[in-house]
Amino acid sequence: MQIAGSKELSEQVLNQDLCTVCGACVGLCPYFKVHKGKLAKIFDCDLEKGRCYAHCPKTDVDFEQLAQALFQQPYNGDPLGIYRRITAAKAGERTGTGDFQNGGTVSALMTCALESGMVDGAVLTDSDGLLPKPKLVTRAEDVVKCASTKYMATPAVSCLNEAATDGKTNLGFVGTACQLTGVAQMRLNPLEKSDFVDPIGLTVGLFCTWALDTRQLMDFLSTRVDLKTITGMDVPPPPAEVFIVKTGETVVEIPLDEIRELVPKGCGVCPDMTAEWADVSVGAFEGKSDWNTLIIRTEKGEQLVEKAVAEGYLVLDDFPAEGLEHLTLGAGNKKKRAKENVAKEEK
Amino acid sequence: MTNIAEHDKNARHLLMGNEAIARGALEAGVAVAAGYPGTPSSEIIENLARVSGKRDLYVEWSTNEKVAMEVAAAASFAELRSMCVLKQNGVNVASDFFLHLAGSGTRGGMLIIPCEDPGALSSINEGDSRHFSRMLEVPLIEPGDFQEAKDMTKWGFELSEELRCPVMLRSVTRLSHASGNVVFGDLPEVDHKARFQHDGFILDPDTGIVSSAPVDYRHGLQQEKIKKAEEIFETSPFNTYTGPEKPELLVITSSACNLYTREAVLLLGAEDRVGILKLGTTWPLPPKLLEKHLAMTDKIMIVEEVIPFLEENIKILAAELAGSIGAKTFYGKRDGSIPTTNEMNPDLVVAPMAEVLGMAYEGASAEYTEKALPLAFFNAPSRDLTFCPGCPHRASFWNIHHALTLDNRNGFVCGDIGCYSMAILPTGFSTLRTMHAMGSGTGVASGFGQLGRFGMDQPVMAVSGDSTFFHAVLPALVNAVHHKADITLVVLDNSGTAMTGFQSHPGLDTDAQGGDAIKLDIRKICESMGITVRESDPFDFKDTQQQIFELMEIQEGVKVLILKQACALSPEKKHTKKFEMKVVEEACRGENCGCNRLCTRIFRCPGLVWDQEQGISKIDDAICVGCGVCADICPAGAIDRKEVA
Repeated sequence: MQIAGSKELSEQVLNQDLCTVCGACVGLCPYFKVHKGKLAKIFDCDLEKGRCYAHCPKTDVDFEQLAQALFQQPYNGDPLGIYRRITAAKAGERTGTGDFQNGGTVSALMTCALESGMVDGAVLTDSDGLLPKPKLVTRAEDVVKCASTKYMATPAVSCLNEAATDGKTNLGFVGTACQLTGVAQMRLNPLEKSDFVDPIGLTVGLFCTWALDTRQLMDFLSTRVDLKTITGMDVPPPPAEVFIVKTGETVVEIPLDEIRELVPKGCGVCPDMTAEWADVSVGAFEGKSDWNTLIIRTEKGEQLVEKAVAEGYLVLDDFPAEGLEHLTLGAGNKKKRAKENVAKEEK
Repeated sequence: MTNIAEHDKNARHLLMGNEAIARGALEAGVAVAAGYPGTPSSEIIENLARVSGKRDLYVEWSTNEKVAMEVAAAASFAELRSMCVLKQNGVNVASDFFLHLAGSGTRGGMLIIPCEDPGALSSINEGDSRHFSRMLEVPLIEPGDFQEAKDMTKWGFELSEELRCPVMLRSVTRLSHASGNVVFGDLPEVDHKARFQHDGFILDPDTGIVSSAPVDYRHGLQQEKIKKAEEIFETSPFNTYTGPEKPELLVITSSACNLYTREAVLLLGAEDRVGILKLGTTWPLPPKLLEKHLAMTDKIMIVEEVIPFLEENIKILAAELAGSIGAKTFYGKRDGSIPTTNEMNPDLVVAPMAEVLGMAYEGASAEYTEKALPLAFFNAPSRDLTFCPGCPHRASFWNIHHALTLDNRNGFVCGDIGCYSMAILPTGFSTLRTMHAMGSGTGVASGFGQLGRFGMDQPVMAVSGDSTFFHAVLPALVNAVHHKADITLVVLDNSGTAMTGFQSHPGLDTDAQGGDAIKLDIRKICESMGITVRESDPFDFKDTQQQIFELMEIQEGVKVLILKQACALSPEKKHTKKFEMKVVEEACRGENCGCNRLCTRIFRCPGLVWDQEQGISKIDDAICVGCGVCADICPAGAIDRKEVA
């Protein structure tokens, strides 16, 4: 991959409206910052090469290099990425209860990782009112407080970058595909900084078909509900085709087509539904809303899952063959769409 | 420094043009002087204020130039001598009153003294107020050297009294701010008695009402005064001719250009070929005097700065006099001999003069130029226009720039006149996107604030200094509030009219003469209009940016943020250091840091320098004033501040 600087990043990503606000370029320098779900370049920077460009998931990503670095094997193009096995999972009793979107598997894994000392901290996504807000959590009991899907683009990697700058290592990270692609690229130390230390201990990926532009969603919702009263959001499995906003007393249903208008352009060129560059990836389980799909990709991921099951944080179940077929189809469709959209972009 | 209030008759002193004008006013027994600070005019009021106690004078820095002219006019109406001092664009501010004052006439001698800035050395315009004299029909006189600056000031009061109308005495930077020898005249005994007579016959100029109405009658009267001025000017000793009886070329000039023309003739050694008619009375022109001199030769050059004011008026006369003086060839602005922008200098006069005379003149040899240019280019350090070390504006614009950029809705700032005008440049992170007259930031923002109805969704911000707030922001702010404009005004309160040298303003508890004054509270003024007002310290980045964000969130109406931090050069701060600053060498990662030299490349306080050898930043102790702000910008935390005990 040809590494360039922030000028090229602006030209190729920001000015093309492809940024999904993953935060990979934030917290490394004084120039990129995020405010209310939107990335801003504060000043021009004339460095020819920058980590901003090198870490960005929307510049050219070298899948081969990432596959070798993370899985020690060639990239195979599987719609689900490189993985060891897929299983159904949900939180066990020891995880405690939280506002889980589905089975609470992510909370279970991170609680276990922190409790057992597998990681020394974890970057999760909490909320500040409605706004998603990345947060470094060091106590296992705080993990469940960050549960639930936020549906909005979150600069989670910025929090990881800042923690790394503070010298923190062996950190857990939970994020979507764009965020994990950024993290994976960061771990390669592409600018060959002599003082680089990999801050990552473990990564948990979240399935993602798209996120929503924070500001557009706020503006959209504010015309329908009092933002302060919103308690949660959900996209029920097909064929519902609705986006659900829960307030204290009511449930507002919004046709999904209207919501899709708020998807950043950058999500359209993303080929990765299942967060391929993580140790494990977690998503919904079609047909059983209190379970999750869990993809185990690395040995480290395997160790974590085994430990979580053994210590009662996590419960597993078989993953049906037709589920795998469905999942592969969905992930493959996302890749196809991305390819088409990239081609459109290039025109 | 010369004490301009010493009697000292016949003594010769080296005086700045502005001091000479002030001395002239004292010799005329001026009683009231009012002005608004503005380079290059400010020293006149300052010098008079300094001696106000000794000379029984009332001197004030008025809220703006229009008010200054009104204040001075009242003294004239009460039969005292008075003056109003302002810079070129100040005449525009005062011009509405000036128009009516010209119509109403005056009683005690009254001078309007614009000090102008051709070349805009300290301005963002090179306005030329000479045109006001013709437009408003008031006499214009222009000193051609430093002695004349004093003498013509004194004479100007007498002229005004004789004509019963205000007289404009115009100076320019190179007269106001340069110095020359001045021989003092006598200082009168002063015992001013003010009384306004207003109950005589209404049309009586000395005892009736003072007004430009009835217009028909007064306007006629005013034009008679101009006729009379013309007659007086025919024999004025301030119009002088030097040169041969039959020169090949007659140069007609005035003001500082008189000095350049004299030098040009000397440089060419053309004293016996060129005559110089130096005019001290430039409007109305004395026709007989012009006729006499225009008849000397058929080649006429007019040397003046900026717009062809003299040239056009002379050409009108020449056309009228064509029967007696014959056809002339004119060299000046219209034919391109003399530039129509920027300051003049001797070189710019020599070149066209040599051409007309068919003389070869090389200002500098080709060899010299060849050597000098690269030396100047490579050896002179490039210095940007920049905010001073420790300037609160740098911090304020850092915050505004951050807030607007993070807000990311393509918001912008409307600015106006003050040191903060420099925020149009990199020193203020190029934050200002419009910049016009005093108070215009708020006025223009008030207009932008109405355009939401036409789909404009960018946040609109304005900035204003504390002195500017009172000068001309108030009416714009009232307008914005009344019409519910969606704007955020940031008042950059550095507690003084800092740019021009800390003159007092209505927000301070002292006046021009150093006496007690009533201090007006900007916050309370704004709150009384129902505005949401916040206050912060621009050195506190977090709070200031938070306040801006919160104010911008309020969708409708006018919001005001007052950023309070005294100017780094203010008397309270000068020569004091709050912090001892240091770049911790081990912590600054120099070129290896991802910051790409944020401190010296972007923040650019002159107190921070890049050490080429070590490849890191350091503090220049001689320049750093210890404000402590840069410690908060370094992402590596390498800039250390230690409170000075």
